Amino acid sequence: MKKRSVLLAALAALFLVQAGLHAFAIYPRWKRDYAPKTAGQSATGLDPAQFLFALVGFKEFIAGILWVRADSFFEQGNYDAVLPLIRLVTWLDPHQIDVYATGMWHIGYNFTDTEQRSDRRYIPVALAFGAEGARNNPNTYELFFETGWMWYHKIDDNYENAVRWWEEAMKRKDMPPARKNLLSPAYQRNGQIQEALNLYYKLYDEAVERAKKDNAFGNLQIRDTIERNIDTMLVRMVQRGWIAQQKGYYDQGQYDTKPPFDVGFSVRATVEEPAVIRFQGTWNVLPVGTRIRVVLKDKNMPNDQPAGMIWDQGSAVDLEVPVGLTFMQEQLFVRNRRFDKRVDMSNDRTMYPFKAENYVLEFYYNPRSAPPHIQDKFGYNGEGMTDKNFLNTEVRPGQRVVFARLELTRDQILRRGRWMDEVPFVQTSNYVAPNVRQEKSDVIIVPGILAN
Amino acid sequence: MAAAIETKKLTKTYKSRSLGAVNVVDELDLHVEEGEIFGFLGPNGAGKTTTIKMLLSIIYPTSGEGWVLGREIGDMEVHKVISYLPERPYYYEYMTGLELLMFYSSLFGMKDVERCKKLLERVNLAGDASKTISQYSKGMQQRIGLAQSLLNDPKLLFLDEPTGGLDPIAHTEIRDLILQFRDEGRTVFISSHELSEVERICDRVAIINRGKIVRQGKLSELLHGGRFEVIAENLDRSFEDTVKIPDAIVSYANGRLIVDMPEGEDLNALIDSIRSAKGTIVSVIPRRKRLEDLFVQTVRDTNQGAAR
Amino acid sequence: MRAIVAIASTTVGEAIRRKVLLIILLIGLLFLSIAPGLGGLSPRQETTVLTSMMLGILQLTSAVIAIVLTVYLIPTEIERRTIYTILSKPVQRWQFLVGKYVGAILALGLMMLLMSGVLLLTYYLLQRDVSRLGEIAKAPLFYFVQMSLLAAVAVFFSTFVSPLVNFFLSGGLYFIGSMLNTIYDTFANSPTTNPAVKAVASVINVIVPNFANYNIQNPIINPGQQIQNPTAYALFTTAYGVFYILILLIGAILIFDKREV
Repeated sequence: MKKRSVLLAALAALFLVQAGLHAFAIYPRWKRDYAPKTAGQSATGLDPAQFLFALVGFKEFIAGILWVRADSFFEQGNYDAVLPLIRLVTWLDPHQIDVYATGMWHIGYNFTDTEQRSDRRYIPVALAFGAEGARNNPNTYELFFETGWMWYHKIDDNYENAVRWWEEAMKRKDMPPARKNLLSPAYQRNGQIQEALNLYYKLYDEAVERAKKDNAFGNLQIRDTIERNIDTMLVRMVQRGWIAQQKGYYDQGQYDTKPPFDVGFSVRATVEEPAVIRFQGTWNVLPVGTRIRVVLKDKNMPNDQPAGMIWDQGSAVDLEVPVGLTFMQEQLFVRNRRFDKRVDMSNDRTMYPFKAENYVLEFYYNPRSAPPHIQDKFGYNGEGMTDKNFLNTEVRPGQRVVFARLELTRDQILRRGRWMDEVPFVQTSNYVAPNVRQEKSDVIIVPGILAN
Repeated sequence: MAAAIETKKLTKTYKSRSLGAVNVVDELDLHVEEGEIFGFLGPNGAGKTTTIKMLLSIIYPTSGEGWVLGREIGDMEVHKVISYLPERPYYYEYMTGLELLMFYSSLFGMKDVERCKKLLERVNLAGDASKTISQYSKGMQQRIGLAQSLLNDPKLLFLDEPTGGLDPIAHTEIRDLILQFRDEGRTVFISSHELSEVERICDRVAIINRGKIVRQGKLSELLHGGRFEVIAENLDRSFEDTVKIPDAIVSYANGRLIVDMPEGEDLNALIDSIRSAKGTIVSVIPRRKRLEDLFVQTVRDTNQGAAR
Repeated sequence: MRAIVAIASTTVGEAIRRKVLLIILLIGLLFLSIAPGLGGLSPRQETTVLTSMMLGILQLTSAVIAIVLTVYLIPTEIERRTIYTILSKPVQRWQFLVGKYVGAILALGLMMLLMSGVLLLTYYLLQRDVSRLGEIAKAPLFYFVQMSLLAAVAVFFSTFVSPLVNFFLSGGLYFIGSMLNTIYDTFANSPTTNPAVKAVASVINVIVPNFANYNIQNPIINPGQQIQNPTAYALFTTAYGVFYILILLIGAILIFDKREV
């Protein structure tokens, strides 16, 4: 009996030792160094049945079957069914690069309403998904590139992140030369002109070497494209005065960006029908290509950021998007110095649930996203642009943007209560009805680009 | 003489779902002297193997006590001087006979090739030492089993059905070996239901049925109490009535008188009276009791007792 | 001691002659040697997928062998009554149990050694690259500790459940134990998890034998990851394995001592 109690005591002691060893010495190290990089995020958002299903059976095989199924859901537009499937497929087989790439693209771009506006509440998910794919497949450039593309093209307002991801992609050996060129415009939009030029020069040297070794048409084309890009960019930088700024004689010369041009922004938002808002207003830029961003969202929403939201919400792929949140983003196209756009949110109540009491309307224009011929006047940072009422240098530090903010209540948007009969509208104080004729002096004149 | 095995009220109870608690071995009092061949008899399921396993502490008694060679059961020390040959044993088939003996001897902490070879010789397997066990016949496997049971030069051997399933020649070989063991001064405890074997070699037996010992004693004493059969001719049928022997069965047929009488009654008086009646004695046959009769009778009695 | 060695060596002898184990081993070896041709691999995935697939085959085969080998370890001895001839000798039950266990993991080690050899050879023949062989060879070592732990789990269960139940019990525990860190992560790091559930997860995390600690193939499959102090990790996990094996063996001895065989 005595022997047994000694053994039992040893058992208890060893048990404590193993528990401590695991909890304090092994687990943290395992998590840091050895965990599959999906661990932690993997199961969140999966329902328990799917989780169990994934625990048994042949992972890659099932992943393949599921992906075929997911693809058919895409075609039907059944995105709610697709999301968990993509999640499951990549969790089962984290090396399915194509599933990550397409899955991310679907999540980021394809959740659209009846007017083809995408559901931006999913963008943080898409970004996290891309980041996870990159973590799981660190040897290939693809998911770094795709994630960068999401920042560059879809979010189109935060080029710093696009640059960061594409620089990572560049470190991977398998990145095709034609795609490397894209980093240069990203540098430019991020205001890193010198880096953009340096990259072009470097890529040009490489392209020349490649073309020497193998004068295939593709190689020659890449070389010539880069050469043209460098030429155009140098001309533009001279005209915009960037070179002068670098050399210190910007004050003395005549450059396209001088003097700053007043865009004369004004807007009026009219709730014409429940959840249908008409935006009318002015923008004194005649050349085609101006898009003013309008955002309608819950007042005091979480992860708020002026004219958008904080897109990068951490690396956990959480399929629980904030379904109660209303977030609408649209572009107002300017023609003949005016814009007039009806935004109908009445048919998509899952995307626009209008659960909150109060909403903000934000109007935003950032020259960094503008087409080059307009940037020629405004510059990358908006040094050639101003607005008497709405020039803002705070919402995007270091940049001059146009930013205006109006508010609406839920009752107003949904035309409830006293707004059933009365048409609600909000407007900037400088708004003038369109029948008032504009002065000709409002028109931008850019020598050499547009003859007026 | 000291007792090689002694048990007091040794009991093993199993719980069965349909029958409740069943005493497989029920307050067993066993006494085996040193140096004898002891037969432990009983029908299948009587509790023989259970008793042996308890004595070897392979299973544990529910209650009661037991001593093997003077040591309480469960004492590992005694395992150095006893050995056990289970019923229909299996040996690692890939091993050769010699390897098998070497393996078992290493369990005693020994490493003596010569001794193992000698034991193989002793059980007449010297020529098969390099064959694997899988090539051995049943009789050879039983002999190698006996060889392994001799590895530690045991004072007490437990043999469970040692001749079970063997052909008559193998029977004889095993029986001779067991008799040699006794001659070497070892105590042999044989559990068996093959009575003819036991009858030939055992000094004492115990009969166990339903977990209880129903008979225990010297074979000669247990089988004491036979009968005589007297057959005579040329006698009148009326002579039949003059025979007044208690417990005798008297019959007359075809001019022959048959008297079946217990041993111990006055046989001479009967013969005298036949002769004085001018009868002719044809035969006087002593009929000794056989173990089988005793066994069948004992088992039947206890079963009836249990039924009542 | 001699008894333990004798029992262990007969266990190895039996194990390497058991047909079912040899068949599993052969299948494992076959898959390892044809692994390069199994998936239509694109060049960019070749190294990654090949390494992960081969390590997966090695691990799965070893686990199946470990379980099949050990669930029958004690029951067969009882069924064939060899245990009686052994326990009637001056052999303590713990010696018997330890001998059987040591024999089992030695046999397992031999088989894993063979498979690892084939794995490394296949890798070398395909990639013609010796620089990563050392790194890849680390995984089977960790797996060996993992499988020894698995064998101890099966030995522990074999002292009181039937082989078939044991097969599913040990297999299930191995499965859960292999996912343990991931599952724990899911609960512990999710902000929505109920604190009570979290507490239960933490308790389970330190009670259930953790096989996930030995799944170190991720940095091997995806090279370039920086591991801080791998030696310490190897030491800690080996110590963990030894401690847990001791726990299971002591538990098995305590039960087996009382067991009627």
